[in-house]
Amino acid sequence: MSASMYLIYSFLGLPLIIVLALTLAAKKPADRLCIYAGYLAAIVQMIAAAAIFAALLAAGVESLTFSQFWDMSVSDSAAYLSLDAFSLVAIFCVGLVSLVSLITAQSTMGEKKLNFTNVLMMLMLGMNGIAMAADLFTLYVFLEVTGITSFVLIAIFHDIRGLEGSFKYLVMSAIASAFILAGLAFLFMEFGGLGFDTVAAAIGAWQEAANPTLLIVAFVLLASGFLIKSGIAPFHGWLPDAYQSAPDAVSVVLGGIVTKMAGTYALIRLLSELLTDIAPLTQACVILALGSILFGAVAAVRQSDFKRILAYSSISQIGYILLGAVCASPLGYIGAILHFFNHATFKTTLFVNAAAVHEQTGTTDIEELGGLQKQMPVTGVTSVIAFLSTAGIPPLAGFWSKLIIIIAAWQALGAFAGALALFASIFTAAYFLRLQSKVFFGLLREGLEEVREAVLGLKIAEILLTAITVGFGIAFPLALRFMQAQGWL
Amino acid sequence: MSVFNIAVIIAALMLIFIGLFMLVRTNNLIRVIIAIEVVMKAITLLLIFAGYMNGQMALAQSFVITMIVVEVVVAVVAAGVALSIYRRNNDTDIRKLNKLNG
Repeated sequence: MSASMYLIYSFLGLPLIIVLALTLAAKKPADRLCIYAGYLAAIVQMIAAAAIFAALLAAGVESLTFSQFWDMSVSDSAAYLSLDAFSLVAIFCVGLVSLVSLITAQSTMGEKKLNFTNVLMMLMLGMNGIAMAADLFTLYVFLEVTGITSFVLIAIFHDIRGLEGSFKYLVMSAIASAFILAGLAFLFMEFGGLGFDTVAAAIGAWQEAANPTLLIVAFVLLASGFLIKSGIAPFHGWLPDAYQSAPDAVSVVLGGIVTKMAGTYALIRLLSELLTDIAPLTQACVILALGSILFGAVAAVRQSDFKRILAYSSISQIGYILLGAVCASPLGYIGAILHFFNHATFKTTLFVNAAAVHEQTGTTDIEELGGLQKQMPVTGVTSVIAFLSTAGIPPLAGFWSKLIIIIAAWQALGAFAGALALFASIFTAAYFLRLQSKVFFGLLREGLEEVREAVLGLKIAEILLTAITVGFGIAFPLALRFMQAQGWL
Repeated sequence: MSVFNIAVIIAALMLIFIGLFMLVRTNNLIRVIIAIEVVMKAITLLLIFAGYMNGQMALAQSFVITMIVVEVVVAVVAAGVALSIYRRNNDTDIRKLNKLNG
C-alpha cells in the first residue's frame, strides 16, 4: 500500500493532537487560534479522505483493514478498524460539516470558542471512529464518544433550553445504548465474538442456530437502538428538541451529520453487512422508513420554529436514506449513500441559513420574520436552492439521489412503497414553501428594517455548500457513469 | 441450563425491568439517572454472563471494563446537566422541563 495510506491515522490522530495542543497551550493564543486549528483538522480530513479514496481506486481494492501504526497488518485477536468507499464518503461529510460548523462558531460562539473547538474535535473523532469500526463493540464505544460530546455541545451555554434539549437527548440516547448493548450481549453469547465478519459468517445460518429466538431478540434490540439514535418516526421524540435548543453552530453539526452518523450510518452498516437476508427485520424497517417519511413531512407543516421545521424535515429525509438502504439492492444502497451525502450538504446549508437569520434578527420563530429576501439576498437565495434540492427538483443533487431511492424502492418493494415516497415529496415542497414565504418572501415585517446580510464567514459557508449542491447535481451523470465503470451499480 | 444460569438471566432481566419501570414512573432528574445506571448494571451482568456461557471470560472482561469507563462518563455528564438544570429551575422535577414544545 502506498504512503497515502498512512493518512488513515490522521482521522483519529489529528483531532486528538489538536485537543491536546489547545489544552496544553497558554489560554490567550489558544483562544485566538482554536478555530483555525479546527479548520486545519477539518480540511486535512477532507483532503485525506479524497486521497485515500483515489488510492483505493488505483489499487483496485474494495476495503482496507488496518490496526496499529507500526504494523498495519491485522492479527486476528486485536481490535481493528476498516475503511471502504462508504466510510470515506462519510468521513468526507464529517470534515465538510465540521468545517462549516467552525465557520458558524467563529461569529456565534463568543467566549466559548475554545471549549467548542475542543469538544467538536472529540465529536469528529467519535464520528470518524464510527465510520471505521469493524466490530460491534468498537462501534458502541465510538457511538458513546459521539453521544457524550453532543450532549456537552448542546448545553454549552448552560441556558435552560439547551440543558433541557441535552437532557432529553441524553436519556433517549442512554436507552438506545442499553438496547444496543443488550443486543451485543446476546450476539456475543451466541457467536463468541463481535467482529462484523464473525457475526456475518455466523448469522448466515441463523435459522439453524441453537437459539433462533435469542437471535431475533438480539436483532430487534440492535435495530431499535440504532433507530432511536437516528430519530426514525416513532422514536423521534428527542430530535426536534435537541436541534431547536442547540446553539446555532452546534445545530449545524447535529443536523448535518451527527444523527446520521450515530444512527443511520451504523444502521446501514448493520443492515448491509450483517442482517442482509433477515426478511422480518427488513420489512419492519421498510414500514418504519415509509412512516418516518410521511410523519416528518406532515409534522413539519405545522411547526413555527425555523430549526424545528428543519428537524422534522431531517426525520423525513432520514426515512428516505433508510428506505434506500433496506431495498437490499446495489441501486438502493448507492442511493442511500448519495442521499446521505446530499442531505449532509443541503441540510447544513439550511441550518447555516437559520444561524444567519438568528444572528441578524435574534429569533428563529417564523411568525416574527418576513420579507428578509431584500435584506439578506445570499441567505435567501441559498436557502431556496437548498430547499429545492431537498424537495427533489432537477437538476439539483437531491433530485438524483431521491430518484435513485424511489426507483430502487419501486423495484424491490413494489409500486406502493415507491408511490408513497414520491407522494411525500409533495409535502416536502409544502412545508418548505411555507417556511420560505414566511421568512424570506413577501413584505418586510416592521422592526426588521435594520437587518443586514450575515457576516462574511456565514456567506462563504452558504455559497460553498450551495456550489456543492448545484455542481454535484449538474455533474451527476458523470458520477453515474463513473459508478457504472466501477461496477457498483 | 443449570439453576444458576437461569437465576442469573432472571436477575438481569429483573434489573432491566426495574430500571425501565423506574425511568417511566419517576419525575425526578436524579432518579432518571439512577434508573439509567440500573439498566446499565443489568447489561454488564448480561455481558459477563455471555462470556461465561461461551467460555470467553477474558474477552467479556475487557468489554465490561471498557463499558464501565464509558458509562461513568455518561453518568458524569448526565449529573452535570442535572445539576445545571437544578441551578436554573431550583427544582429537579422533569415535568418543569417544558420550555421546548411544538
